[in-house]
Amino acid sequence: MISVRNVHKWFGELHVLKGVSLDVKKGEALVIIGPSGSGKSTLLRCMNLLVSPDEGDILIDGVRVNDPKIRPEWVRQQVGMVFQSFNLFTHLTALQNVVIGLTKVKRLSSTEAERIARFELERVGLADKADAYPAQLSGGQQQRVAIGRALALNPKAVLFDEPTSALDPEYIREVLDVMTKLANEGMTMVVVTHEMGFAQNVGDRVLFMADGIVVEEGTPEEIFERPQQDRTKTFVGTILG
Amino acid sequence: MGVRASARKVWKVLENRPLVRSTIAIASLLALAGLLLASLAEVKLISLGFMADNASFLLVPAITSLTATMVSFAVGIVGAIPMGLIRSFGPRLMKGGGRTALLTAPLYGGVTAYIEAIRGTPALVQIFLVAQVSGILFPGNPNIPFLGGVLALTLNTLGYQAEVFRAGFQSVSQTQIDGAKAIGMRPRQVFAHITLPQGTRLITLPLLNEWLSLFKASALLGIVAVSELNWAAGYLGNNRSHPIEAYIMVSAVYLAIIIPLGKAVGYWERRHRTPGLGTAEPTPAGRGVRPRGLTL
Repeated sequence: MISVRNVHKWFGELHVLKGVSLDVKKGEALVIIGPSGSGKSTLLRCMNLLVSPDEGDILIDGVRVNDPKIRPEWVRQQVGMVFQSFNLFTHLTALQNVVIGLTKVKRLSSTEAERIARFELERVGLADKADAYPAQLSGGQQQRVAIGRALALNPKAVLFDEPTSALDPEYIREVLDVMTKLANEGMTMVVVTHEMGFAQNVGDRVLFMADGIVVEEGTPEEIFERPQQDRTKTFVGTILG
Repeated sequence: MGVRASARKVWKVLENRPLVRSTIAIASLLALAGLLLASLAEVKLISLGFMADNASFLLVPAITSLTATMVSFAVGIVGAIPMGLIRSFGPRLMKGGGRTALLTAPLYGGVTAYIEAIRGTPALVQIFLVAQVSGILFPGNPNIPFLGGVLALTLNTLGYQAEVFRAGFQSVSQTQIDGAKAIGMRPRQVFAHITLPQGTRLITLPLLNEWLSLFKASALLGIVAVSELNWAAGYLGNNRSHPIEAYIMVSAVYLAIIIPLGKAVGYWERRHRTPGLGTAEPTPAGRGVRPRGLTL
C-alpha cells in the first residue's frame, strides 16, 4: 500500500535519511524502532509529505506521490498522522477538532460531520468529553482525540509518531489499547515507538533503524529474540534489559 | 474587630465580584473629582456654570474624534492582516528560493520599510505631511481637513497594527500548523481556520491598546483644522476665555470613552478566553468552561 523507495533527506549538512526503502502492506501494523536521531520521525513525515524527500520515491497504491503534479493535501487525506505532542487545535473543543477536517477538508455538511465526529469520539472512549478543550483533557485523552481526528477522515493508513512518548506512565495504557483495537480491526498502521511490549504483541513486522538506514527488519520474534545485526542486538539488549 | 480583620472581611465579599469592585472604584474617583471641581470653583479658579452651559458643545467634536478613530482603525485592520502575514511568513518564503522568493522579497522589503518609517517618525509630523499634500492636491475642498486627517491616522495605525498581527501569527505554534496540514488542509485553510483565529485571540488586548493610543492621537488632528475634541477645547478656551474649564471637560470626555471601553473589552476577552490558549491565569478550579457568547 505504501512504498518507500531509496529515500534520502538532508537538513542542511545533516544527512538524515540515507536511502531508506520499505513496504507497508494493507492491513498490517509495521513498527519502527531505533535510537533517537536515527531518522524514524523524518521517515514517517516523508510518508505523508510533511517533509519532502530530496531523493527517492514515495508510492501510495502504486502512485508516485512526491510529484509536483500531486497535491500533498490529497496525500495527507489518504494517510493520517498522530503526533507525539498530540497537536490538537487549542482553540477548538474535542468535538470541533474532529469536525473541522470533515467540514473544511472533506466538505461534509456540519450535521453529517458532527454525527461522524461523535461516532469517532465514542470509538476512542471520549463521547463525554466532546465539549472539553484540549487543555482540560489529560495527555492520554488528548492523544485519543487526536487518533479520532485522524480516523474521522477515513484514511487508508495512519502514521503514529511516538504517540505515547509525551505521556505520563498512567496514561500510556489507554492510548495503546485504542491502537491495539485499531490494529485488530485491520487498519494499516506505521508506528514509531519505544513501547517494546506493543511492538511485540501488536506489530506484524518490526523494522530497526539507525543512522538514517534500515538496519534490519523481520517479525517481532526475529528482531527481539534472534537479531542478526550487532547494532540490533545492542539496541534490543538495552531496551529489553 | 481590628482593622485588618475587617479589611479581610471586605475583601472576601469583593474577591469574586470584579464588576462591583470597578463600580466602587469609579464611583470613588468620580466623588473625588467632584470634590476637586467644587474646591476649584470655591476659589474662583473655574466656573461650574460655564461648564454646565457648554457641555453640549462637545457632542459633535466627540463624534468627530470617535468617527476618525473608528474609520482609521477599521481600515487599518484590513490592511494590517496581509502586512502582518508578509512580515511573519516572508523570511521563510524567501529562504525557499526560486520564483516565490523573487516575488516575496520586494513585498517583504516594502512592508518592512513602511513599518519602520511609520514607527520612526512622530504622528504629528505624519499628520502635517498628509495635510500639506492633500491641501495642495485639493485646494479649497471643505472636507479635506477631515479626510486627510483620517488618512494620516490610518497610515499611522497600519504600521503599528501590522506588527501586532505579525506577533500574533508568529506566536501560533508549529505543532498547530503540522496538525492542520496532517488532516489535509491547504495553506489557505490552515491560515483561515488555525493561524488567524488563534493569532487574533492572542492579540485582542494589544489591539485594544492600539485603539486607545489611536483615539488619543486623534487629538492631534485639531492642529490641522479638524473640529475634534482637542480643537473644541482650544475653541472654548480662546473664544470664551475659559481654557481651564474647557480642557477639564474634554479630559472628562476622553476618560468617559476610554475607561468603559477598556473595561468592556477586557471583560469580553476574559469571557472568550480558551483554556490553554495564551492564558496567563488558569481557568478557575471547579468552574470549567464558561458557556460561550453569554453576556451578563
